[in-house]
Amino acid sequence: MIPNQPIEEPVSLSMSPYTGPCTKAQAAHLLRRTMFGATNQQILSAVSNGMAATVSSLLQLPSVSPPVTYDPADGISAVGTTWINSVYPVNATAAQTTETTRLLSLAAWSMQRLNNQQLSIVEKMTLFWINHFGATATFDSRATYNYHMLLRNNALGNFKQLVKDVTIDPCMLLFLNGATNNVFSPNENYARELLELFTIGKGPQIGPGDYSHYTEEDVAAGAKILTGYIVDGLRSDTMTSPVATFLSLLHDNTNKQLSYHFGNATVSSAGATEYSNYIDIIFQQPQVATYICTKLYRYFVNYDITPAVQATVIQEMASTLIANNYSILPVMQELLTSQHFYDVALRGSIIRGPIEILFGKLNATSSAPTFNLETNANMYLSTYFFGETMGQAYLAPPSVAGWSAYYQAPAFSQLWVNSTHIKTRFDLAAYLTIFTGIAFNNQNFKINALAFVNGLSVPSDPVIVINDICEVFCPKPINAIQKAVLKSILTGGLPDFEWTVDYNAYLADPTNINVSTPVRQKVEQVLFRVFVMPEFQTI
Amino acid sequence: MKRRKFLKNVSLASVSAPILLNDIKLQGIAKKLFDVPKSAEDRVLVIIRLNGGNDGLNTVIPLDQYDQLVVQRPNIIIEETAILPLTAEVGFHPVMTGMKNMFNAGKLGIIQNVGYPEQNRSHFRSMDIWSTGMLNPNETRGWLGRHFDANYPNYPEDYPNATYPDPFAISMGFEVSSTCQGLMANFSHAVSDPFATVNLISSAQVNDGTYFGDHMAYLSTLIEQTNEYGDQINSAANAGNTLSTLYDSNNPIAVQLRYVAQMISGGLKSKVYILNINGFDTHDGQVNPTNHSTGVHADLLKTLSDAVHAFQDDLQLLNLEHRVAGMTFSEFGRQIASNASDGTDHGDAAPLFLFGACVSSGIMGQNPTVTNQIVNQAGIPMQVDFRDVYASVLKDWFQVDTTEIQTLFEHSVTYYPVLNSCNLGIKEEDELQSLLLYPNPATTSTTLRLPMDKEERVSIRIVDINGREVQSVYEGELASGVHAIHMDVANLKYGNYVVQVQRKTKNEKIQFIRVQ
Repeated sequence: MIPNQPIEEPVSLSMSPYTGPCTKAQAAHLLRRTMFGATNQQILSAVSNGMAATVSSLLQLPSVSPPVTYDPADGISAVGTTWINSVYPVNATAAQTTETTRLLSLAAWSMQRLNNQQLSIVEKMTLFWINHFGATATFDSRATYNYHMLLRNNALGNFKQLVKDVTIDPCMLLFLNGATNNVFSPNENYARELLELFTIGKGPQIGPGDYSHYTEEDVAAGAKILTGYIVDGLRSDTMTSPVATFLSLLHDNTNKQLSYHFGNATVSSAGATEYSNYIDIIFQQPQVATYICTKLYRYFVNYDITPAVQATVIQEMASTLIANNYSILPVMQELLTSQHFYDVALRGSIIRGPIEILFGKLNATSSAPTFNLETNANMYLSTYFFGETMGQAYLAPPSVAGWSAYYQAPAFSQLWVNSTHIKTRFDLAAYLTIFTGIAFNNQNFKINALAFVNGLSVPSDPVIVINDICEVFCPKPINAIQKAVLKSILTGGLPDFEWTVDYNAYLADPTNINVSTPVRQKVEQVLFRVFVMPEFQTI
Repeated sequence: MKRRKFLKNVSLASVSAPILLNDIKLQGIAKKLFDVPKSAEDRVLVIIRLNGGNDGLNTVIPLDQYDQLVVQRPNIIIEETAILPLTAEVGFHPVMTGMKNMFNAGKLGIIQNVGYPEQNRSHFRSMDIWSTGMLNPNETRGWLGRHFDANYPNYPEDYPNATYPDPFAISMGFEVSSTCQGLMANFSHAVSDPFATVNLISSAQVNDGTYFGDHMAYLSTLIEQTNEYGDQINSAANAGNTLSTLYDSNNPIAVQLRYVAQMISGGLKSKVYILNINGFDTHDGQVNPTNHSTGVHADLLKTLSDAVHAFQDDLQLLNLEHRVAGMTFSEFGRQIASNASDGTDHGDAAPLFLFGACVSSGIMGQNPTVTNQIVNQAGIPMQVDFRDVYASVLKDWFQVDTTEIQTLFEHSVTYYPVLNSCNLGIKEEDELQSLLLYPNPATTSTTLRLPMDKEERVSIRIVDINGREVQSVYEGELASGVHAIHMDVANLKYGNYVVQVQRKTKNEKIQFIRVQ
């Protein structure tokens, strides 16, 4: 959005290491930008461990266990075992039932991953790639899972290799028609997006079919280069996983001529590995690094790429990426420890997306469902659908360009919120706090207000409780009136010591609902109020 | 004795008696011309976005190019016998029965080969171009947003207010429309269900000049507007009505259009409603391989056609037909040749629909030319610039001053008649000076309204699109005044024709279309 008045631009454009104070404000900023909802304890640990150590921890990728069957309708994989290498039933109708079961299991599992509490950038980085490559779930969830794991496992890995792997990933081959791209009828879909969205990016049109960094002829040549791959084993009753297979009969064996943007290079026929040679040629252009670093910057730092930011920060990131042969980790390491990243002018410059809203609430309050497998899965599915209602279905970006709030000028993240979505956000805030929460099998899952308040610095002191809450949920200090409103909700309008008395009574007898309920309800009411404040909508 | 002379000549042509209209001033002209409001203030534009790039060649099918299309797209071509003919040269996809009915009733216009110069085949860039109405990549405002900015300054801070209590535009669903992006905010208000009441907690926020402050101001204004506009929308929906029985509640666009009818009839003053249909990016599986008239693309077109047809029916029943017009757009058409996946790749120009009781004419522009030669990546060349369509809509429908319209676009605007058939009541004096043909499209007969400022010899004839005379209508003197000349066209083949009116002082012509 074009602002009312000139926006105060970041003071520091330096990418050299940040050496200023590391208080809760800086630590909370770092964790807000790299995780979905850090707890007060995690913020305090980040302060005591220091920035460098915290960033190192954030850049570790924890291993994950695969999704398991929770619904016996799978028919093949027993409840409690994973289905990721399980065949499908022979009967097509039965296979459809199996697939539905697996897709729901995958959706629930994705939410469970997002709900994990570990100090790591993995979830945020994985969502970055989901958005970057834009593929939606395909009709064999084993392929969807494998694609997801490719992005997750390489979230901080080598970008060039990731593009190569994605190019012949079965899920992507199906999504952008690579699996039906052959010498007899080239399909340009993947070839176009590979250039326009995945690697070099589209610049201004400077001539007929010439988009500054590539031409229509490159798209056509790329389609030919990529011919020959098909996907085998979809919903197979014998194969445990769908695979990409190269058939040389379907491959275009001519020499492919690229435009002057790629030095008029010719890509000669090289069968199954030709795509890799082509991607190597694309990555010889430094514009690839500029393009991906611009996207990383918009996602992690700020939508507004001023000429100064372009010339300094983005170029520095791109140089680091090229110097490290397209490895993402050093770029993130440099960015997250830079002076620029901690500039106070950038605080709160991003409006939370739906995933950020959901897990910003759940994770920061250590709230996770703790019921049986089936109940947990269904509660996570409800979470998934909340995200979808607010505009972010995790397994289905709206287009190959991803969610518009991550790329559409001039509004960018403001696009997450409009008159419909703001209402859904407010409804969700009420649902997870002052109402019953997500219900399934006579169980309820909502924000764990008591665990949350117990984890604050001095839970018996209402002033500190409100301060902690604001630091956890809001990127900048809120005004005195808002704070007074929150405290009066917590104390019921009574003097501060009344809260202290109530809280201590609860601590003395935590299982007695007569003393725990008033404390819980007051915290829930405060959290509801915080979740509908404009400040909470940003990170 | 002019009148006698005139009567004597009548029998010469296939004409029933022209009637001198001076005394009864226009009484005989189709009544619909007088049902319109006296200004464009109350008019509503409904825009339906076909997201993904609609395959124009399988939507509005050029029948005279069919043999070549069989060569170009054998695996997706619609079976010839299944096509719904509109004229001898143009047919609809078989599922578009609703829109065919509208076409025959003169309530659907088609503009052929709409696009923009130097087509960019990226969805995102193309959609930006169509949304902004600008080829300039630095433009961030939508074409309607610029128009609203010019007329409603200080949006959103000063709105809603007593003069403008309602949102300027409504975007049906969960997203605002980039066509309405203004300088400071988006003019469209997202509505998924107009019956849902809204009352959000608001808290005034100050913009402290940072990025954060900008978001705070945006969110605070949004919350306040959501509450105020929400009340207006809710009251209108509850006060409104809907009468058509044609809406299919399983058709999501029909459901949204019914909401639109409900809001308009309930008195909401929003000027623009925007709807969206996803899924037109049919790279594969566009048709069912065993029956090309069915499949994904057929389902999409049916959704559109059925919904628009029901909506038009409703508007007629609600007596709102002359206040509401609609148009579709898509970011591009698709390539002429199909691909091996039973689909089509990104192409260039495509047809665009206008609908409503006030559309100007049947089919504007010629069929695209298709050859037997498969040219890699070839699309349909543009003949009508989409920006001229936007400009013409603003001129015809919202009566926007042409000086303002020109400032909204970067190229020199050409105006086409798109939605001007109801404008007589508004600019009566201007319109009285020109020809009018009604109904148009015509089935068996139509009437030419011919104003004569003095007695003069007149020659009236019907020619085909190649300029060949197919029927002589009238030769002789006509007195001063406005004449209504009835023309029997039942013997003409279906298609486009031009009525030429020649006299010593001027030559005029008007296009019409003969339909089944």
